[in-house]
Amino acid sequence: MASETVPTTGRRRSVEGKPTFAVAFTALFLFVLYVPIVVVVLFSFNSKKSLSVFGGFSTRWYQDFFNDEGLLSSLRASLFISTVTMLCSIVLGTMLALALERVTSRPARITGTVALIPLVTPEIVTGVAALLFFTGLGMKLSLTTVIIAEITFSISYVAVIVRGRLSSMSDEVEEAARDLGCTPFQALRLVVLPTILPALIAAGLLIFALVFDDFILAFFTTGIDPQPLSVRIYSEIRMTISPAINAVGTCMLLVSVLLISLSLVVPRLLGRKDSSLDLISGG
Amino acid sequence: MTEPRLSMNRRDFLRGSFGVGAAAALAACGFSGGSSTPSASSNASSAAPMAQAKVDGDLIYYSWADYCDPAVKAGFKSKYGVNIVETNYDGYAGMLAKIQAGNAYDVVLPGARYVELMRKQGLIQKLDKSQFKNADQLFGWGSYFDNPWYDPNSDYSTPFSMWTTGIAYRKDKVTTAQGSWNDLWNEQAKGHIYVLDEDDEAIGMAALKLGLDVNTANPDDLAKIKDVLISQKPYLRAYSTDDINNMASGNAWIHHSWSGDFLNFIKTQATDPTQWVYELPKEGAPLNSDAWVIPTNAPHPGTALLWLDWLMQPDNVAKNIDYLGYPLLTKTGPDLYAKAASAYPSLAVDVSKVVNPTVYKNHDPADQAARNAVWTEVKAA
Amino acid sequence: MSLQVEDALVDLAKEKRRSPTRTRLWNVLLAPPALWMLVFFISSVTIVVLLSFGHVGDTGKPVFGFSLDNYKALSDPVYLKVFIRSAVFAIATTAISLVLGYPVAYTIALHGGKYKNALIAFLVIPFFASYLIRMYAWSTLLADEGLINQLLRDTGLSSGIRFLNTPGAVIAGLVYGSIVFMVLPIYASLERMDTALIEAGKDLYHSPLQTFFAVTVPATRAGMLGGVLLVFLPALGDFVSAQLLGGPSTYMIGNLIQQQFFEGQNQPLGSALTVVLMLALLIFMVFYLRATQRVNREK
Repeated sequence: MASETVPTTGRRRSVEGKPTFAVAFTALFLFVLYVPIVVVVLFSFNSKKSLSVFGGFSTRWYQDFFNDEGLLSSLRASLFISTVTMLCSIVLGTMLALALERVTSRPARITGTVALIPLVTPEIVTGVAALLFFTGLGMKLSLTTVIIAEITFSISYVAVIVRGRLSSMSDEVEEAARDLGCTPFQALRLVVLPTILPALIAAGLLIFALVFDDFILAFFTTGIDPQPLSVRIYSEIRMTISPAINAVGTCMLLVSVLLISLSLVVPRLLGRKDSSLDLISGG
Repeated sequence: MTEPRLSMNRRDFLRGSFGVGAAAALAACGFSGGSSTPSASSNASSAAPMAQAKVDGDLIYYSWADYCDPAVKAGFKSKYGVNIVETNYDGYAGMLAKIQAGNAYDVVLPGARYVELMRKQGLIQKLDKSQFKNADQLFGWGSYFDNPWYDPNSDYSTPFSMWTTGIAYRKDKVTTAQGSWNDLWNEQAKGHIYVLDEDDEAIGMAALKLGLDVNTANPDDLAKIKDVLISQKPYLRAYSTDDINNMASGNAWIHHSWSGDFLNFIKTQATDPTQWVYELPKEGAPLNSDAWVIPTNAPHPGTALLWLDWLMQPDNVAKNIDYLGYPLLTKTGPDLYAKAASAYPSLAVDVSKVVNPTVYKNHDPADQAARNAVWTEVKAA
Repeated sequence: MSLQVEDALVDLAKEKRRSPTRTRLWNVLLAPPALWMLVFFISSVTIVVLLSFGHVGDTGKPVFGFSLDNYKALSDPVYLKVFIRSAVFAIATTAISLVLGYPVAYTIALHGGKYKNALIAFLVIPFFASYLIRMYAWSTLLADEGLINQLLRDTGLSSGIRFLNTPGAVIAGLVYGSIVFMVLPIYASLERMDTALIEAGKDLYHSPLQTFFAVTVPATRAGMLGGVLLVFLPALGDFVSAQLLGGPSTYMIGNLIQQQFFEGQNQPLGSALTVVLMLALLIFMVFYLRATQRVNREK
């Protein structure tokens, strides 16, 4: 299939040079990607309880959602988990990235690299390990345990994104700052941190989204506090689902559109050419 | 263990930090110490004064999803000015695992055999029935549940609902039903048959088909049950407890189903209710019940008692029967239910039969492990 | 992003020299994240390994021990079947994601023009909305009496297709959930690729097809490997897709592990399953790292 997408010319060609198959395929791909999204948005305005027959326009499921204390508390819990995880993992992950990029001794580098193992560990392993660790210590499962597990999972993601940015930055700038009399810490604060800011935004955005949507880790480590939204949705799907879920999905979609637009716009406002999105995609 | 803690405090965190590398020390901490913990807390709970029915915080609620009329919950919230913090489970085993992991809830709705298990493990509190204003609705009118098999004198639980497990099928798709558990092997509906994703229900169904005891732990019986369940797989669409949605989506033509869910489906979701039949197989059908309990480590046992009392109130009983489609075990419940289900004689639930041999019972750990292994191997095959 | 994943892993094998003046600061910076991972990751994985030699006690609680019983139990062919099934599902998911994802990354990277960023954003947005809700939407669409089957019946194309509760549905769910992680790294490596290479290839090879396989594919192998890692790993450990879209015979390792922890009440057996999963991945990673190192050398 891929073979037919071969262009006869390089990139940056004008519109007429586009291979029609590749474009059509991509359009179809995006269409299929959006089919369930359209269904979710459409049925969130359904006047009937049905999830397959559209009865007419209504906002009753939004009213249900905004009046459903259970759903709202789950939403708040997820927002709280994502925000705290994002902040903590950015701090720890950036430290790890800086250290990994600069540390010289082999034991320290091995330690740092071991810290990246969660990246290549399926979530279910991390989830099982976290569950056994917390219950083994007699810790009550709660939002705190979810957050600890999510941070453990997120640090390595932040580290690789930030590290990608660091490795493209030349050492000379920092050396120059040192020559001008900066302490290592000042050089870090005044030179390095501003440079990696887009990477931090990108990492923050990614972690927020991944953690907000994460189900497996949350499922294993959640306790008596309001369940994270993903866990609640899962148990509703397994049992009896309310169309209010579609309203929740539509709101989440709106927020993600907003966040992604921000990630495109904010770096530009800060006078940078590269958007945070480029950093997520590695571009 | 009994001290309720909502979130990790500094002590937990320090324990966490000191736990580094000392994994062996854990043996003393949470795991193998297990045998002493339950007995210790059960002594504590019988000695401690019983809880008083008064608001002492929000209600931490743990039950099936959507297993209570929202209007009943709303009424409780406005009457007592408390919030209901709701968490759901999708199976009793998962519920028990969460409670054994130390999660503290105020009210939980386990199935009867799990009530017995939790009582024996010291996980639930003894209830002072004088705290219930509506106690007369539930007890003392000659109800079987004044002294049910799983909890003598209902000391630790308040009975809630009851159901049979049978087979729901579509007449327009299935014309060869025999009124037997063999219908879950029906050729016409091959690929459209669902079996409940609960170990007791699946093993119990196979046992009844084979003419065995639903609670059997005999190795020969279990081997036969395993074979018969595996032989069923080509006929199945999936294992699922979501019977209502599977029937509503049109994916299920035959569904191993709970009586209450069937009534709920007929009343709220079915596009053509007349096409659907609920049959009780001639080999016998499981009949089970559940009951509300308050865990030993409940943070707000006062509010929890108020909740149990609230559910006994006749108005709320009526609302819940209408919403859920299950008979509730109060004085007025069975009649209200009989009226609601009058069009479907097979949905009748005879309270007096709750001691019959198709009630799921507890096993000693080795037997339970053998039954679990059968279920795991069936699912994995 | 993923391009840096293997960079970091490959780095272990390489020595990189740095001026030693700043070492102390970096060591200080390394301490907190390293300590965090030691406490919450390494030691918890250690517990899993230890418990895999334990058994279930009389009260139903897990007890540590030194027996191989759980591993012996796993030698039952039933478990082997589940492992093979999971591997097949995960490999199929990865292959399908690659075949579907490559043309999309290619089109956006080389023919996206000024809409490139917008297209990537458009691609990413669905993945930032709930995976579970999207899966649920699919399952209602593809139900026997769902919209798609209704359309098929109305147009007379088919009398109805059973999409759900099949191995295909589980794989489709996995592909749908993670294909973006295949597209993005390939997109990134196509972006980095020197387009003069393609021009040169055109002179050297006759057909565009030959050029594609001789020039473009090798130049983006790093991106593909990154994508493979990011799709394969989550797919291998997943239990949600099989739970929501699977049938009676689509159980994966993830389902088995989840069942031991939340239904079967046999945490030691669940731990042993987890350990076996980790070992399988270790073997996969060894091959994977060899492949990435080869790519790095070729660069």
